[in-house]
Amino acid sequence: MRFESETQHAPRSGLILLQVMVFALFCLFTLRFWYLQVHKGEQFAQKALDNQMRQVLIDSARGRVRDLGGRPVAVSEPSFALGLVREDCEDVEATLAKVAEWTGADPAALMEIYKRGKKRVKPFEPLILVTDLSYEALARIEANDIFWPGLEIVVRQKRHYPEGPLMAHILGYVAEANEEELEKNPALSLGDSVGKQGLELTREDWLRGAKGKKQVEVDALGRQHNEQVLVEPRAGNNITLTIDLDLQHLCAGLLEGQAGAVVVLDPDTGRLLALVSQPAYDNNLFVLGVPQDKWSELRDNPMHPIQNRTTQGLYPPGSVFKLLVAAAGLSEGFCTYADGVVCTGEYQVGNRKFHCWKKGGHGYVDLRRALVHSCDVYFYKLGERMGMDRINAYAKACGFGVPTGVDLPHEKAGLIPSRDWKKKRFGEAWTRGETLNASIGQGYVLVSPLQVARYLGALVNGGKLLKPSLVLDEEPTVQGILPLADEHRRFLLETMVDTVEGGTARRLLRPDARIGGKTGTAQVVKLINADQRRKAADMPYKYRDHAWLASFGEKDGKRYVVVVLVEHGGHGGEVAGPIVKAVYDRLFGPAPGKPAQAEPAIQQLEAGD
Amino acid sequence: MSPIDRRFVVSANWPLLVLALAIFAVGVLNLYSASGFRMGEELSLQAFFNRQVLWGSCGLFAMLLVVLVDYKHLASAAWPLFFVTILLLLLVLVAGKSVSGARRWLIFGGVNFQPSELAKFAVLILGAKLLARRTEKLGWIELLAIVGIGMAPAFLVVVEPDLGTGLNILLLLFGLILYRGISGPVFKTLLVAVPILLPCGWFLLKPYQKQRILTLLDPEKDPLGSGYHIIQSRIAIGSGQMWGKGFLEGTQSQLRYLPEKHTDFALAVFAEEWGFVGCIVLLVLFCLFLLQIYATARTAKDRFGSYLAAGVFFYFFWQILINMGMVLGIMPVVGIPLPFISYGGSATIVNYCLVGIVLNVSMRRFVFKKS
Repeated sequence: MRFESETQHAPRSGLILLQVMVFALFCLFTLRFWYLQVHKGEQFAQKALDNQMRQVLIDSARGRVRDLGGRPVAVSEPSFALGLVREDCEDVEATLAKVAEWTGADPAALMEIYKRGKKRVKPFEPLILVTDLSYEALARIEANDIFWPGLEIVVRQKRHYPEGPLMAHILGYVAEANEEELEKNPALSLGDSVGKQGLELTREDWLRGAKGKKQVEVDALGRQHNEQVLVEPRAGNNITLTIDLDLQHLCAGLLEGQAGAVVVLDPDTGRLLALVSQPAYDNNLFVLGVPQDKWSELRDNPMHPIQNRTTQGLYPPGSVFKLLVAAAGLSEGFCTYADGVVCTGEYQVGNRKFHCWKKGGHGYVDLRRALVHSCDVYFYKLGERMGMDRINAYAKACGFGVPTGVDLPHEKAGLIPSRDWKKKRFGEAWTRGETLNASIGQGYVLVSPLQVARYLGALVNGGKLLKPSLVLDEEPTVQGILPLADEHRRFLLETMVDTVEGGTARRLLRPDARIGGKTGTAQVVKLINADQRRKAADMPYKYRDHAWLASFGEKDGKRYVVVVLVEHGGHGGEVAGPIVKAVYDRLFGPAPGKPAQAEPAIQQLEAGD
Repeated sequence: MSPIDRRFVVSANWPLLVLALAIFAVGVLNLYSASGFRMGEELSLQAFFNRQVLWGSCGLFAMLLVVLVDYKHLASAAWPLFFVTILLLLLVLVAGKSVSGARRWLIFGGVNFQPSELAKFAVLILGAKLLARRTEKLGWIELLAIVGIGMAPAFLVVVEPDLGTGLNILLLLFGLILYRGISGPVFKTLLVAVPILLPCGWFLLKPYQKQRILTLLDPEKDPLGSGYHIIQSRIAIGSGQMWGKGFLEGTQSQLRYLPEKHTDFALAVFAEEWGFVGCIVLLVLFCLFLLQIYATARTAKDRFGSYLAAGVFFYFFWQILINMGMVLGIMPVVGIPLPFISYGGSATIVNYCLVGIVLNVSMRRFVFKKS
């Protein structure tokens, strides 16, 4: 028997190897632990915090819009959207397929939304897949979303316009922000709504408010544990409109079935009490994205319901323009009250005859008669004396050919031609005949109903061109002063009153108020001579003349300007007259006196321009 | 000779057992924290912790069985054990139970069994037996024979596929070969040949394995994909800083940012909560544990015993090196657990059995040998 404990059986080199390996192991990992935990420890601690703490935006409520009487016309309602937090989603395709199943959405469309969103939304923020979930879909998702990590129901605001088409042209609408808008405004996230049209667009910053921020502790599956609000969201500001919903409603009703515009303006403040463009569209349709077929229907509608005729509709002003040409003539000294002209019903220029609307002529007319009876020949001659460039400069000073600056997007400037303009536009020289046409508001001259109302407002309020305003808090903004002496201004108003008392706007007459008006009939198609003029009803709709009636009314210290345009309405007084009358009846109360009194006026008006 | 002799008790490597139990205790404690994850304000536990305690008890019992039988009988059982293992490994490829794409399990009357675990013992015992026969450094013939014997089971395990275990078996054998020593000319040839052949091995790797190596070099390239494990693990460890976030306070682990936190990445949970100081304590425990195995290898009464202990040394050494290296982000992600720290039933039992083999060798070092 042998005691072997003292004998070395292990290979010497092997034993050394084992020792070296343990030593190396110790050194290697001590260094590595030191590097990660001590040397870089603080950096990693911050990363762990970033991992766990997410900053999440809190939506702010968009401001509400009310009418003058405090009735809501644009409100935000809660709606539920379904978002996907990419970082937490295990299988995007399967999840999207499930979402499509729950909501009935098209899977391909969802994939499209997802791909688009991937570029914009941070991986830990919900990418909105479906907006405005129905309650059935909501219930189905709530019951199942724990099995689908990454899905998140998001409560969002949805804009609603209780009045729909009635206020559509004023309010416009909000809709999901597009790429360009997202690019421009970093505060927007995908799926946010922004103003696209109307006040919603022009007052976007005012209405939107600012998003808040909160910090949430989130686990790797995206579940939120604790949260802390860092920045409170700031709600958007409210707006009270100058629009009187009742009046707006009345005006819209009066234009029902026709295309046209009504502007009711307080001339002393520039506030718009009604601003109607017909036909209109339902702006609620756009909030959730208008379906393609509906959109084509609106876009291709020959009546152009999307166009706001008060600011974007441009029409020849017709005889309404004589108020401007007369003002120009008086101010620049090209005519006096006493200067007279004999109207024979036509005026020869070169080899062309320019007709007065009244066959046979008005006989001798001074300025007052020329305005009251809307004598074309008088203004042909006056315009010819002044020349187009002078008329152009004066019209610009009175706010024509330039936008009114109203708080609505895409306003059109209109057109006051000049010799330069024609040269540039057509490369042709201006002709005398074109000056004559422009002098009676035909030819190239184009104005919007709002420009006419602003000009009339200035005539009434003492010469101040005021910015038409829609928002009650806004202080009146004086944009310019009419280059017109007070005496001449009052003279023009008097002729308008005379027009109501004995001229082409007799329908408006009421004993308890001072009302002045000027009708206009804007030719759509150039007619060779007056003989070819036919009754409106006999002509195809699109060739019928546009009917204007620009008016002011004053009673008990309250003053208003009412301008009505009816597209293809025929003669100004006939179609626009009853509308303006109804507006004054609302503004001043029903006219006293027998209603029968108004009847003969219609017949008298029929011939009038 | 009674199985339990007073001599055995005196000469047994008690520090090794104490260290193994200490590390296992740390592991269980850590699993308790790793099983917890926050649900709102609450901390919820999963069953890993309880089960690991159960596995530990089973392991200790298995270790006791291993200790009872004199290890010299293992030498005579080496070849039969090896062939049975090969047979079972072949069987598993044909009739094994498939779990998530890998055939690793055999079912014997309701008991699940992994032949790859048996392969570790078979290679350890046969390797020790063959290498202990002589003392001179390995020449070409013996080296190729040994490598060939090791390759057979390792290959069968790798095709299951179970790369981690296959690698473990090969590295164990590789360690034993180094322990014995390679003769000068062979060593020099290999020194030149291996660095040349190694890049060729790159082309044998599967795409996902290549990806793991590339990811290690630049984890930020794909932070939510293959780089995720490495990045999150490094954040967890680094954010522990000097003193750690405290027991049950690890946010990375409790908010589930840490993947595989019960198993392969359990060390990251520990590092996050106990900091640099805790990690060094654990590292020291592991080093002392390895040194105790080394001590037994040095003082074994015969070469077979010494080689057995050295084999166990390498088995643990490689696992510690690879797992820590992977968790600390200096080695590719390979599914190799950290002994006694990572959760795992069969791994725990195998680990205790291997500790048992070392204890077996240590307690019989003074026993008189009949001549």
